[in-house]
Amino acid sequence: MLLEIKSLDSGYGFLQVLWDISLSVDEGEFVALIGPNGAGKSTTLKTISGLLPPQGGEILFAGDSIGGMEGHLVCRKGVAFISEELNLFVNMTVKENLEMGAFTVEDSAKQKENLEFVYELFPRLYERENQYAGTLSGGERKMMAIGRGIMSSPRLMLVDEPSLGLAPMLTNEVFKSLRTLNKRGTTILLVEQNVGKTLKTSSRAYILEKGKIVLDGKSADLANDDHVRKIYLGH
Amino acid sequence: MASAAIEPTIDESAIDKVEQTIENTFVQKVVRWVFSAAGITICLTILIAIVASIHKGPYILVNTIITGGMWALMAIGLSLLFSVMNIAGFAHGEYFMAGSLTAYFVMQPIGKYTLDHPESFITYVGPLIAILAGTFMCAILGVITERLVFKQLRIRNREGWLLNCFLITIGLSVIMQNGHQLIFGADFKGILAYWDFPSVPILGVYISMDRVCAFFIAALTMVGFYMFMMFSTAGKTIRAVSQDEEGARMVGISVDAVHIMTFALSCGLAGLAGASLLFMFPSYPTVGVMPLYNSWFIIILVGFGNVAGSIPGGFMIALFQVLTRSYFGEGWEAVIPVLLISLILIFKPSGIFATKVRTVWDQ
Amino acid sequence: MASEHEYYVQKKGIAKFLDYLCLTPLGAIGFLILIIVPLFPPFNQDYLLRWFILAAIMGAGSMAFDFSAGYIAVVNFGFAAFVGLGAYTSAITAVRWGIPLPVAMLCGALASALLGLFTGAISLRMRGMFAICLTWFIGIALMGLAIKMVWLTRGMLGLQVPYFFPSDVSNLYYWYPVLGLSLMTWFILKRIARSHMGLAFKAIGQNMDAAKTSGINPTRYRIINFTVSCALAGWVGAFYAHFIGILTPDFLHTAKTVEFLVIAYIGGRGTLWGGFAVAFPFIWFTEMLRSNFDYLPGINLLIYGLILIVIMIFYAGGMAQFFQYLVDKYKDNPTVRWLTT
Repeated sequence: MLLEIKSLDSGYGFLQVLWDISLSVDEGEFVALIGPNGAGKSTTLKTISGLLPPQGGEILFAGDSIGGMEGHLVCRKGVAFISEELNLFVNMTVKENLEMGAFTVEDSAKQKENLEFVYELFPRLYERENQYAGTLSGGERKMMAIGRGIMSSPRLMLVDEPSLGLAPMLTNEVFKSLRTLNKRGTTILLVEQNVGKTLKTSSRAYILEKGKIVLDGKSADLANDDHVRKIYLGH
Repeated sequence: MASAAIEPTIDESAIDKVEQTIENTFVQKVVRWVFSAAGITICLTILIAIVASIHKGPYILVNTIITGGMWALMAIGLSLLFSVMNIAGFAHGEYFMAGSLTAYFVMQPIGKYTLDHPESFITYVGPLIAILAGTFMCAILGVITERLVFKQLRIRNREGWLLNCFLITIGLSVIMQNGHQLIFGADFKGILAYWDFPSVPILGVYISMDRVCAFFIAALTMVGFYMFMMFSTAGKTIRAVSQDEEGARMVGISVDAVHIMTFALSCGLAGLAGASLLFMFPSYPTVGVMPLYNSWFIIILVGFGNVAGSIPGGFMIALFQVLTRSYFGEGWEAVIPVLLISLILIFKPSGIFATKVRTVWDQ
Repeated sequence: MASEHEYYVQKKGIAKFLDYLCLTPLGAIGFLILIIVPLFPPFNQDYLLRWFILAAIMGAGSMAFDFSAGYIAVVNFGFAAFVGLGAYTSAITAVRWGIPLPVAMLCGALASALLGLFTGAISLRMRGMFAICLTWFIGIALMGLAIKMVWLTRGMLGLQVPYFFPSDVSNLYYWYPVLGLSLMTWFILKRIARSHMGLAFKAIGQNMDAAKTSGINPTRYRIINFTVSCALAGWVGAFYAHFIGILTPDFLHTAKTVEFLVIAYIGGRGTLWGGFAVAFPFIWFTEMLRSNFDYLPGINLLIYGLILIVIMIFYAGGMAQFFQYLVDKYKDNPTVRWLTT
């Protein structure tokens, strides 16, 4: 198991959002976490990536406990987090942003390889290499954030709502790049609201409702599940 | 679906064309800059400086350039502190004071030694050692305050951070001023000159060696600071944290380490300014008030969080003060600037060099 | 002190009157103690009474300061200059035109209010930092003016100010007016804070963006608040001038602002009464340090700085927070409930 979460509780101060969450992601898998607004999907990712301290339970990454570890140390372990707000460095150029993404990678040959891969995956970023990140369009920002995540050669990538605010065409492109990334060997834990597309892309999925995991299984099975069809797919 | 995909491309190319027609030649760019708020003020400043120098004598230009560089250094430190940690440093003048005090104490034995051995190389290097000592002392002091005070607040209470930090810096300022008075007394602790050489004739004006050196120190530091921020990894991490703290943490930057570095840099710059200007401003408890005033003035003038703008801003403020002092007399330099700042706040509250890209500050 | 919930409980008789004055029974008892205490030894000595008066003036000033710092989160970093402007205006109008002192005091308040209105109008559109800087600059500029305009203020020599009462009377003559002044200040500020407008102030102080989205025009309310605070500052300053008898530009110094600020924040931000209560021990402590450690100049300020930092880090609510903690602890006790509501 690459990532294993055992009965995790988390939240903001007095407000507990996650109640006894357990999930696991194997090496090389593409796992999705779906659920309605306010279910605690983003909170889960924030807790794993160390931006939010857990209130109970355990988070194991490659066998080591990372629960309560500071964000930058979690990143050094090989977890990249692409947040909903993207958290780009708006006053830096695209290239500088990508370079900052490789902050934890000391090997410069590896850095270069990653950069080339990102440009190959998103040629648009190469075109805008010297443009400030603050001047990019919404879709480009998403690409930029994913690219920045790739730069640290993560073992596990946590992606939060990549389709948010994107046109359908761009959403497809982002999903395609995530699949390419997964084929290249990066494990992905994806949080999404676009359930149909997510279930088609991912191999396995968890369904989170009101801070609790209510269902899990193979994506194809879930897509045929009555509960999922009724509530999330609308047919 | 197809039309939706085509439309954006048409729009973007149209925009590109418009942009191209707007900024096609270098000359047009220059003209546009000159008529922007920044261009007008900078050109006007240079013009006024020249006219005043002809009218009142070249010392106006000399004083402006020397002190302006140092105020710019302090304002850079303040801007950095504000944009990285969101702290309004009202204790920065006290780091200026601490820098000049350290330089004074280091300079004492060096001065004695060079009096006996005027031919020794210490005559040339000694003052530099004193200035560096002042800089490092302040950097260390800055790190200590960060660990003892701001780190503690950060752990405990993030609500109302800006106001709490402002009040804490006031507390620090009061402590440092009165600590100085208690331990070292309230008298002036100054030196006659760092480099006791004959004055250098520049354009027919005799300028003391200290002033020349102060100018070069300021210029070199600014260039060095720019290089550090733009090209070194450490500088990039500082910029990253100032733009998005969470993002920095996500890419593996230790925000804590960046905070230490920022404080060291910011306070070190203030200490450097204080130490280099010891020959003009002898050290006493409240020597830092005026530099602090100037640097805040610069920050409002050029716009909050605009680190690069501090440099022209520093020279403008220096000129403004030199002018008020020579045309209105001592004591008015605190009164007249308020009128200017009021005008700026009324007509261009975001500062004359307001940046186009929004920073952490505006959010 | 009254929690919002219980405020709406119908009150009768003396409780109703106290409620109109915005005093809780405990506050009223405290006030009564202040009224009678100078009549008994050892507090009936003249120099002790002088401290009491100074403390009440500082306390009233810190209430005015806290009105903008605590409610709309705008720190007036030139507060002493606004106090001083009131003092100088009152003194100068009284000397030059010979108008009665109470009217001169109102002139002082008016001058401070006008300056506050101007300052607020140009700086309060932006974030609080601008107001801090501008008030600080204005404070320094006013001090510079007070030094420079010798023909008007006599500069560093100090301006002779007419006293309220003949100079040979006991300080007791000043004590009751100053208590009245403090009560008036408290009453005005608290009535505003309890009104509809006070609600807007609180909303702006907590979260300006949220306040904006609920239809409050933050700039307007901030300017109103700031002007009121400055006007009261001028009023308090005018009283100070006619009590102390001589005005020097030092009174406008930032160090004096820091004193008001420290008192208000030790007392507890946003409570108004906290600063007034803390002013008495604070002035006593200052005077004690000044008289016993005169070979250590500035030791009192050093200690204030330390206290300010420690409070900001560990106990941001100040003394009022501690008081509230005690009240909450014993809230089942009926006497405590009666005293504090």
